[in-house]
Amino acid sequence: MENPIYVSLSRQMTLRRQLDVISNNIANMNTTGFKQQRMLFTEFLERPGMHEQISFVQDRAVVRDLSAGGMMQTGNPLDMALTGHGYFTVDTASGPRYTRAGNFRLNDQRQIVDGGGLPVLGDNGQPLAIPNGTKDIMVSGDGTVSTELGQVGRLNIVTFRNEQLMTEVGAGLYVSDEEPQAAPADTKVAQGMLENSNVKPVVEMTALIEIQRQYQSNQKLIENEHERIRSAIQKLGRTA
Amino acid sequence: MRSLAIGATGMIAQQLNVETISNNIANATTTGFKKQRAEFQDLLYQNFRRIGSTSSDAGTIVPTGVQVGAGVRVAAVARVLEQGNLTVTDNKLDVAVNGSGYFQVQLPSGDTAYTRAGNFKLSPEGIIVTADGYPVQPAITIPAEAVDVAINASGEVMVKLDGQVAQQNVGQLQLATFANAAGLEAVGDNLFLQTGASGEAVGGNPGAPGFGRVVQGALETSNVNIVQEITTLISAQRAYEMNSKVIKTTDEMMQQASQLR
Repeated sequence: MENPIYVSLSRQMTLRRQLDVISNNIANMNTTGFKQQRMLFTEFLERPGMHEQISFVQDRAVVRDLSAGGMMQTGNPLDMALTGHGYFTVDTASGPRYTRAGNFRLNDQRQIVDGGGLPVLGDNGQPLAIPNGTKDIMVSGDGTVSTELGQVGRLNIVTFRNEQLMTEVGAGLYVSDEEPQAAPADTKVAQGMLENSNVKPVVEMTALIEIQRQYQSNQKLIENEHERIRSAIQKLGRTA
Repeated sequence: MRSLAIGATGMIAQQLNVETISNNIANATTTGFKKQRAEFQDLLYQNFRRIGSTSSDAGTIVPTGVQVGAGVRVAAVARVLEQGNLTVTDNKLDVAVNGSGYFQVQLPSGDTAYTRAGNFKLSPEGIIVTADGYPVQPAITIPAEAVDVAINASGEVMVKLDGQVAQQNVGQLQLATFANAAGLEAVGDNLFLQTGASGEAVGGNPGAPGFGRVVQGALETSNVNIVQEITTLISAQRAYEMNSKVIKTTDEMMQQASQLR
């Protein structure tokens, strides 16, 4: 009897979660290397009786939009952006993590570290350290880091067979169970640039309005259903 | 609702962004000032459906999970150490550093501070001091009978005494570099202090490998690019507005839920 309410409720719950995803996109509008996310919904079919079927809605997945964000020129030699698919590798206590946020700097040991202070790894699995007494840091398109004294090493730029299987762990970092692969040849490092988030504010704003309106119409449906049941009880309960 | 808190993290982050930009703009004409940039990071993610979980009895695996982020935070306000432009002032005691390195200044507490602002003056005793009167290290005294002061690119301070032809070397300006100069702590008055993140100061003469040269009669302007700051300001303001829109939407949805009969 109350199935319409539950169906409506299933939509309202997914809408709330969708709102959370949209808010996170908007909050990270200016986060370097952030990829916007959107929700996938699926139908959840139930057959309570012989000839009836009810479909609920279920939030199936959150997928990342892997398209490139806009490039911003900073002039800082340790700001790096990746064009094409690929991730920088950083070292954490629990193993390598991958990131698109190339706002790097030097730490007190002159190692290249990311915004959170985690060392950026070279293709030999070791952090890259800029020798003392050097001024110019040059990064070529293939990720080779050199100074006026010569080559320092090469950034470890990797990709994964299925990038959607990567899990966000916050602070712009991802982790994956898959084996990292060498990034395709057309992935290039752009020095002095940063990749902006690829959040499209207009899309997010319209999504926000749509969520709100859909929530309202579901609310209306629940209220109508409530009214229907109440009047049914009143009419049926009236003694003849 | 989670989105209420997420919107709030966005507004807080953008507020700090605007504060950083306003400080840059306020210091656009401060000698030796280095602009700062707020950097953001996404917060933790909550897994509602873990990636790689099975979706049926047949063992099929969901290709993507349901992960909802908790918003944004300011990871750092990083200092951009790009060289500022040099403006010629023709003042004998204005010295700019072209390249890396900081002048060393002795604070009244005895600690050493570091600065890029080379608008030096003379103290009543003839010692080269900063605009605030703190002596530059190593201390250099200009004799009272000097009629001309020349500072060459490698920091040697030469004076010409009244009635003498030959110049006399009265001292050597020294610079300090750091493994990570962006890790210096700004204490105001154009001064920086060494921290654990910056590494130990390494002293050296201007022009030595790894050290910039000094230019007499010039000052380093701030490296603030006003046009860039204004465009960042606009985008920060819009981002703030959109985050407040998230909060408004969430509020309206919660209101509807609470009015449900």
